[in-house]
Amino acid sequence: MQQVLNWFFRSTNGTVRETAKDRMRTMLVHDRLELPAGRLEMLEEELVAVVSRYFDLDKDTTNFDLQQFERNAALIANFRLLRSKC
Amino acid sequence: MSGRVITITSGKGGVGKTTASANIGVALASTGASVALVDMDIGLRNLDILMGLENRVVYNLVDVVEERCKLRQALVKDKKMPNLSLLPAAQTRDKTAVNSDQMKQLCAELKELFEFVVIDSPAGIESGFQNAIAGAEEAIVITTPEMSAVRDADRIIGLLEARKDEIQEYRLVINRIRPSMVKNNDMMSVDDVLEILSVKLLGVVPEDSEIITSTNKGEPVSGTDNTRSGLAFRNIARRLRGEDVPFMDLDPQNSTWFSRIVQFFNPAAVRV
Repeated sequence: MQQVLNWFFRSTNGTVRETAKDRMRTMLVHDRLELPAGRLEMLEEELVAVVSRYFDLDKDTTNFDLQQFERNAALIANFRLLRSKC
Repeated sequence: MSGRVITITSGKGGVGKTTASANIGVALASTGASVALVDMDIGLRNLDILMGLENRVVYNLVDVVEERCKLRQALVKDKKMPNLSLLPAAQTRDKTAVNSDQMKQLCAELKELFEFVVIDSPAGIESGFQNAIAGAEEAIVITTPEMSAVRDADRIIGLLEARKDEIQEYRLVINRIRPSMVKNNDMMSVDDVLEILSVKLLGVVPEDSEIITSTNKGEPVSGTDNTRSGLAFRNIARRLRGEDVPFMDLDPQNSTWFSRIVQFFNPAAVRV
């Protein structure tokens, strides 16, 4: 019965199809920008350092992501600000 | 006459460029248009086989470029359709036998004789590909829903995008879709590929064993009435001619509760 229910309510999360799509997205964003490995991490470190000069940050929730926006990439950075430093 | 020069390309080999070229050529010709099919895969000639014309090849593209014969002498007329001709590639030369300027010149001459000039590009992104798009205003990018093919298609789209002044339009054909694998979420769907590549869709061709049979016979599937892949290629030709033809429904995302129940009892029912 469980199988029958799963079959009717099947979702795409965690499927091979979804894995392929996610890998594909990440790969193409890097391909299109000709972005070498490690470069993004470097930028992240520097940005955190800059923002930290002005604000106390909750570094655990800092989120840094490249997303596809049509055929371009968008850099999405989320800094949780705790308080101003000045 | 000033015809349209359309290059069929993919980056990756083996995704169906030559099959698509032959079928789109035949389908365009069967709408009544005059069509030249040009095999640009110099050194690896194949389009003549798919067209069943391998025994009629006398001169080839390199002979024309090097002025050993007139263009009209090298053109091989199709067996069934007099408005369809093939310009075969040379088999014993390689991609360096022609350059971009010679190709531009050749395309300009062909445009005067035919309404459509369909160029089958070799795989890769090097000189062979550059030559194949040198004289074109339009391109058709072929991919399959596999990761490596999509990645290479993306690279080609990037290169076409960089030549926006010459290539005014490019559209995507997704070849060898397997609806049952998409349905089971084992393969990317048409919408997945479109979302990833952000490109206009020209057509979707389902995986079809008839393609192998038709290649062995030398008669492209789009010349006959009874295959799904042939219908898909004929739809592509109609869209190229500006007709608004709905896409074949192969995507499982359109399935509803009701269609799933129907499908459960009759698995063949969804294949419309």
